[in-house]
Amino acid sequence: MSRPLTSLWERLFLEYRPSLGLAFFRIAVAVTVGFHVLPSFFHLEDNYLSPAYKTVNLSFFTPGVIDLVQQSPNWLVCAFVLAFCLMWFCFLIGLFAQMSCILMTACCYYFYALNCFHIGTLSWDILLVTLFLMCISPYHGDYFSIDALRSGDVNIYRRKRPFFIQRLLQMQIAATYFYTALYKITGGGNWLTDNPIYYLLNYPPEGVTKQFIGREFFASQPQLCYWSGILIVVIEIALPFLLFIPRTRLFAIGAGCFFHVVLIVTLHVPTIFFFLFPPQLLLFINPNKLIYWIEKRRENNFSGGQAKIIYDGHCQFCVNSLKKLMVMDLFGYLKPVDYQTAGNVQDIHPQLTKEACHSQLHLVEPDGRLYGGFFIFRRLCFKIPMLWPFFIFFYFPGTGLVGPWVYRWVAKNRYLFHRNKVCHDNSCYVTSQYLKLD
Amino acid sequence: MTQNSLSPNEDYSASPQGRFRKIFISIFVIFWTLLFHYESTRHFFLNPFFKQTLPKVRFLFPPAGWIMFFNVDDGYGAAEVYGRKDGRRARMDPHRILATRAVGYDNIHRNVLSEVLSPYQAQAFCRFLKRKFPEFDEFEVVATYYPSVTQEPKKKLYRIIYVCPDL
Repeated sequence: MSRPLTSLWERLFLEYRPSLGLAFFRIAVAVTVGFHVLPSFFHLEDNYLSPAYKTVNLSFFTPGVIDLVQQSPNWLVCAFVLAFCLMWFCFLIGLFAQMSCILMTACCYYFYALNCFHIGTLSWDILLVTLFLMCISPYHGDYFSIDALRSGDVNIYRRKRPFFIQRLLQMQIAATYFYTALYKITGGGNWLTDNPIYYLLNYPPEGVTKQFIGREFFASQPQLCYWSGILIVVIEIALPFLLFIPRTRLFAIGAGCFFHVVLIVTLHVPTIFFFLFPPQLLLFINPNKLIYWIEKRRENNFSGGQAKIIYDGHCQFCVNSLKKLMVMDLFGYLKPVDYQTAGNVQDIHPQLTKEACHSQLHLVEPDGRLYGGFFIFRRLCFKIPMLWPFFIFFYFPGTGLVGPWVYRWVAKNRYLFHRNKVCHDNSCYVTSQYLKLD
Repeated sequence: MTQNSLSPNEDYSASPQGRFRKIFISIFVIFWTLLFHYESTRHFFLNPFFKQTLPKVRFLFPPAGWIMFFNVDDGYGAAEVYGRKDGRRARMDPHRILATRAVGYDNIHRNVLSEVLSPYQAQAFCRFLKRKFPEFDEFEVVATYYPSVTQEPKKKLYRIIYVCPDL
């Protein structure tokens, strides 16, 4: 009896599985926290400084903590604002991911105790529970992070960690759905005995219901509203079970995401519901299957689909930068080629020369298209997931002019960026002609 | 590109360090799960069952479990603020009073302003209004109530809760 239980426990919480899903979830958590808290800083005087209108949450905090925080002078509030912004950004980009998560969460608590008026909602409490679990381990910093780049390990996306954090996050969202439904039909809930959806749809314009297409029709159909309410309760009760059954998991994730889209379209609910819950549902995807899918894509690329990136192997700055690019290269799209040891570079592409390779990085795609310098990064924005967020930056109007100029300056002075004593004065750089590439 | 010491299949589960980690994780999981479900059920199920108010875990979890839209009735109440100047009276846009907006979320529609109806909030809110809107001499904080949004959607009741600065 005890062996199967031990084995089940091991599989549920202790088994080592890749932490890639958790790393993606970190970004969703950071975005959600930012969307919720940062706007409250735009009206600092109204919300947090001494003349602000404040309310306190005495059921959440102890009176002692509230008193202590309420005594904050304005300079301390401003210091916490700066600390929050810094820690939030570090958490978003995954720099010292666990520490930045802990410090950002501490700042969240500070502002919650200072004034719960704007940020304090039920969904905020859910977010704090999530943040608490994220603070427990550094696993969420394993990928999609600066920490991953700092490690320099090209296989870090496969890194395995104890699964318990991801499992507890799964259990958290499943239980939240379950209890939400339970309270609608028991305790003080009235979804069985009354018609809450009918009332919500008939609320005045200043109420919580948005003006969506079809609202007037639904608002005149009490029977339809009642059974829609029952359907919502049934879905909320069933969802936790469907999420844990492998066969129904994908359907349940899709249904859950659809549910949150409907919620945000029809009601003025905190965006935490929309930005946090769907990514949390994605945590139900088995990370082993995710890695299997990535490995398949890598294998496809290795068998002829790779692009050659030609770099200067004598330049430590270039080698280090390329290492980071290789860590980012989740799908194995890039094959690095050191032109210093590659022999005849014209075998790689007829337009290439040693001088051209010395002047800047080049990218030769499987179909033979050639990119150089800044335009490589524009191209890689489509190919490397960790560069997707930079799409807007690289394609922002004007960067096509400024980008190559900045790149050329960096390329020209690249020997100054590393500690090679021979080249400390940039003497390794020789003026060379640039290829005209798009 | 070289790989460093971080092996992707790093697994210490068989080592003494791994065993200690497993015990620690197991204790944490059990403790957290109990705590989570205790706080999720305390207010509406455990308190009535044990016929007493059980202690709430501070610094985490909402006061009464996960009760999103759990009870919606036919009435609707809100707060309105009116500014007075030279004998004239005008309703103030609640979005001007509470200008903070989380991305994609209008908290005025979630009735955040109704908190100011509490007599305990009166002084602080009056001070806030006076500082933010010096163009007005006085302010009226009014509770509005629709007795039935389905039967009498046009019927809206008003009651002045307090006037600033005549508190």
